[in-house]
Amino acid sequence: MSNILSVLLQATNTADNYFPIGIQLIFAAGFVATMIAVSALLGPKRKTKEKLENFTSGIESHGDARQPVAIKYFLVAILFVLFDVEVIFFYPYAVNFRELGWEGFMAVLMFVAFFLIGFIYIIKKGALNWED
Amino acid sequence: MNQLVYLIPLLPLIGFLINGLLRKSLSKSVIAIIGSGVILASFVISLVLFFQVKSSGGQIINYFNLINLDKLVIPFAFQIDQLSSLFLLIITGIGFLIHLYSAAYMHEETNEHYGRYFAYLNLFVFSMLLLVMGANYVIMFFGWEGVGLCSYLLIGFWFKNDNYNYAAKKAFIMNRIGDLGFLLAVFWMIAKIGTVNYTDVFAATSNFSSADITAITILLFIGAMGKSAQIPLYTWLPDAMAGPTPVSALIHAATMVTAGIYMITRSNILYSLSEVTQHLVAIVGLATALFAATIAIKQNDIKKVLAYSTVSQLGYMFLGLGVGAYTGAVFHVMTHAFFKALLFLGAGSVIHAMHHEQDMRKMGGLKKYLPITHITFLVGCIAISGIPPFSGFFSKDEILAAAYAKNPIYWGIGVATAALTAFYMFRLYATTFLGNFRGSHEQAHHLHESPSAMTIPLIVLAALSVVGGFFNVPEVLGGHSSLHQFLSPAITSEVVHEASHSTEYMLMGISVAVAVIAIVIAINKFSKKPELQDAQGFAKVLENKWYVDELYDNIIVKPLNSLGSFFKNIIERRGIDGMVNGVGKLVNYSARQLRLLQSGLVGGYILFMVLAIIVLIYVWINDNHILSFFYKYF
Amino acid sequence: MPERAELGVMNAIIFSALIGVVMMLGGIVIKSNAGIKLLAIILLFILLGSHLAEYYDLFNIHIQTHGMLAKSRFGMFFNTIIISLTLLYVLLSGDEIVKVGTYGAEYFALIFFSLCGATILSSYNNLLMLFLGVEIMTIPLFVLTSSEKKNLKSNEAGLKYFLMGSFSTGILLMGIALYYGGTGLFAIEASKAANEAQQAFRILLPLGLLFIFISLSFKVSAAPFHFWTPDVYDGAPSVFTSFMATIVKTAGFIAFIKLFELRSVDMGYSWKILLPLIIILTLLAGNITAVFQQSVKRMLAYSSIAHAGFMLFALYNPNDFGKQGIMLYTVAYSLATIGTFAVLTKMKDYTYEGYNGLAKTKPVLAATNTIFILSLAGIPLTAGFFAKYYMLASALKESTSNLWLVIVAVLFAAVSVYYYFRVIQAMYFKDGNAETTEIKPFFKTLLIIIAALIIVIGLMPSLLLDLFYA
Repeated sequence: MSNILSVLLQATNTADNYFPIGIQLIFAAGFVATMIAVSALLGPKRKTKEKLENFTSGIESHGDARQPVAIKYFLVAILFVLFDVEVIFFYPYAVNFRELGWEGFMAVLMFVAFFLIGFIYIIKKGALNWED
Repeated sequence: MNQLVYLIPLLPLIGFLINGLLRKSLSKSVIAIIGSGVILASFVISLVLFFQVKSSGGQIINYFNLINLDKLVIPFAFQIDQLSSLFLLIITGIGFLIHLYSAAYMHEETNEHYGRYFAYLNLFVFSMLLLVMGANYVIMFFGWEGVGLCSYLLIGFWFKNDNYNYAAKKAFIMNRIGDLGFLLAVFWMIAKIGTVNYTDVFAATSNFSSADITAITILLFIGAMGKSAQIPLYTWLPDAMAGPTPVSALIHAATMVTAGIYMITRSNILYSLSEVTQHLVAIVGLATALFAATIAIKQNDIKKVLAYSTVSQLGYMFLGLGVGAYTGAVFHVMTHAFFKALLFLGAGSVIHAMHHEQDMRKMGGLKKYLPITHITFLVGCIAISGIPPFSGFFSKDEILAAAYAKNPIYWGIGVATAALTAFYMFRLYATTFLGNFRGSHEQAHHLHESPSAMTIPLIVLAALSVVGGFFNVPEVLGGHSSLHQFLSPAITSEVVHEASHSTEYMLMGISVAVAVIAIVIAINKFSKKPELQDAQGFAKVLENKWYVDELYDNIIVKPLNSLGSFFKNIIERRGIDGMVNGVGKLVNYSARQLRLLQSGLVGGYILFMVLAIIVLIYVWINDNHILSFFYKYF
Repeated sequence: MPERAELGVMNAIIFSALIGVVMMLGGIVIKSNAGIKLLAIILLFILLGSHLAEYYDLFNIHIQTHGMLAKSRFGMFFNTIIISLTLLYVLLSGDEIVKVGTYGAEYFALIFFSLCGATILSSYNNLLMLFLGVEIMTIPLFVLTSSEKKNLKSNEAGLKYFLMGSFSTGILLMGIALYYGGTGLFAIEASKAANEAQQAFRILLPLGLLFIFISLSFKVSAAPFHFWTPDVYDGAPSVFTSFMATIVKTAGFIAFIKLFELRSVDMGYSWKILLPLIIILTLLAGNITAVFQQSVKRMLAYSSIAHAGFMLFALYNPNDFGKQGIMLYTVAYSLATIGTFAVLTKMKDYTYEGYNGLAKTKPVLAATNTIFILSLAGIPLTAGFFAKYYMLASALKESTSNLWLVIVAVLFAAVSVYYYFRVIQAMYFKDGNAETTEIKPFFKTLLIIIAALIIVIGLMPSLLLDLFYA
């Protein structure tokens, strides 16, 4: 399996087709790099204290932006995502509703039932209780 | 009766187990009763068996296959014939007497050690019985090793004394040298004819070349040299006197050391086929007999004298074997068992009375304190000196007659040895029992005759020493050589020597006369003024046993030791240890280094993983190159 | 039992998922720890029963899987083993599991979910199922690892596991994508027609397999992708380490061996270099690093890496012999590890010093632990010996030219004796007052049973292997 790359190229036999894409990739990357380099080289630099501060629309900044958030927030968020994704599964089912017939209906029912069990579980566990 | 044969060795084994396992909980009397009782029971069975063999001949009893390989089958079988039944009697009979004697002699020991002693002794009897009863060389070898082990254990019985431990080790190692010969002989047999059963081996002698037979017999004889203390492997036996005296009597005089004689007698068919080995056996035996006798003259330890005397008498027996007088040798084994056991037990009685004093220069005049011991000891001395009609005369005479028939020089040296024997025995007797007491006051105060458990065996053995010879009175003296006839089915290669009666009378006369002269000289010389000073000049050489121990030390032990210390200090410590420890250190070192990779930082881990993936992909791409590289170099 | 490609091992998969849900809801109803434990044990018995019912063709749920799952004797037998081992594990360590935190029922539920993933791995026939199985199996472990909420190490370990696990999952997905690119299929048993249709991109197939290989190496903690193992095993609560190091790890090997059985040909010759390379690195990293550890728990984590190195030998012969071997290894290694971790969880001090004098204070614990350790070290008369033997023999069966590798492995096994025996040395030959938590007679009995099983299998491995063919 030596010189795998040449084999790969030969195998596809359409390496030429990718040539413009390659050029474009190089050009895009090169352009970005060039622009950053040029602006860094040519741009004037005045480093004062005010200059280096975060820009907050003129309002004086205070405190840390990364404030701790209650863990419950993440819990609710992740549970939301879970049930959100569940809903997404209904779209393909809805599209194929007729073709899948009763068997498909049963399957979706089972799917929903499992989520329902999960829902009961989180309620019982008190995961959605904001206060405790 | 055949159904009970297995009981003969089994009973002592049971005794060993009981005494060995329960030694802490049993009382001394129970231990003694069990220990002696099992031997007595074995003796009774052996006795019945003996008469059965006498009337209806021997047989082989197969129990099971010990080793069962494709071509090699080694059965666990006992061969009960004339030879083994006679040995059974000697072993169990004398064994019982000595057990009885030990019950009193060892009474000072604590319960635990008392039990241990009897357990060892029973184990010894078991092994010895296995040795003589086995129907093939492998069973014999089991017994052979077993008795060696027990000998080791019993010599070192008082293991708190380092010297005794050295003596035990010496005995064991010397025996091992011999055992190697035995083992090689057995392997040789297996390689050549694929069997070790006596009957099969003796029937298949035609399958051996003469070189094979010579090699096997010499190897077996090396085994016998170790076990029966012949030159050059004899030095362990005098040291073995470190063990309790009854042990010396049983193991190192009456039974174990005669195992070599038994083995060669058993293999008489092989030995008679090799002229070379026979000469070798005779010469080694004779040399040992003379050599040990010269040493015995100047020994001062009562047991050492007896030890060298044993070596010397064993040499006699080998002389008998070498000249083809197998019956004579066995006969001498028997009579020697009687009188040497008697002498050792007598010596034990003396030592017991003297509170473990063994130096006979500190004895003297014990005649009036120990009357029974004195009389029985005297009987033993007369018997060993070969004075008719005591037993030693008949057996020694038979060997000497056969030696004369083979070569008069053998006879001449034999007679000289006999004279020396008579001389040192009566030197011992005179120094110990005659004259005035030379020990301390305290010893004098405590001098006493031993208890009856000790004197009864003495008396029985003394009686046997007197009459033992009549079992095999030669024709020339009007007997029927009954032992001869009895053993003839088992010993088929006996060399029958024809000599005129007048010659035989002359031979007997000379040997008896020489012995009597030696006795007279010895009594005269030593009863009045015994040698108390250290010997000078040549006598000093004798006293130091011809410096043989020192010689062995210098030519074998010391070079081996220095080789050993070379291996230990240079090869082992620098080389092997260095390598082993080096590996350990390497492992430790790399453990410490590898551990550092485990930094605990996820970023680092993932970096390593990415690098590894890159390497693996690289390897995967270049697999052909790498494989061909490996194939090229490995 | 005929092989029916369209049917998966459905009972075990469905029931393990369902009882996980039941367990979860049970936690709402049942408040006492003992009740939760009892429920878990009952549910496990139900799971085992339902699986055996399918094993003996008594009852099973038929579901059309379109060849995504395949039922095989090997997979079925493996499931029997891991479910039984889980049962044993819960019986032995159930008390410790509920004690880890306040969510006893959830821990059991997560274990069941993880088990569900393992059962999928034993029967997958499609790379998507492989992916699902791996994820279902490992995601609960992230939670279990960090379940000791108040313990910073546990949280750290969970996060590390999660981060690196998702990294390796990415690689797995990358591999699957490349595989798909190469063959146009997700099935691991590709039809010939499909193979030929994609000749043009065929080159992507071995590359994809390589990526899957790397990712699975991560899951079974083979070097050089093992870095997560010591930190995670050390940080996680000991009971869960025990579960991760045994049932989960061996399930990873089942996935591995299945892939190798069908697809090692496509890897070309390169696996002849890659496999020994990974084996040696794994043995090296596991055994050598374990030498220097002071904590028995961390030592066991490294030793589990070392055992992964041995189990990789099965890949040399991924047909019957290697399968027998991996089966035996699974049982031998899991029994011993579950046992020794059960003892570990009872110790107050996890360092070697903590074991000092255990033989005097708790002779039964020390004796059984000695047997477990001996088995881990592969000393004859224990199951571990034959397990190692089968592994090394499978490499030799493939080709005797692998002898050098076998020798290297044996040398590393010798190194392993050093750190294993330090535990025995501490228990028997050092003075100390090893402290343990309370030990129930039932616990001791189970330990003795496990030790006896190890010895029995060590004497007669055929007992187990015959079951495989029964």
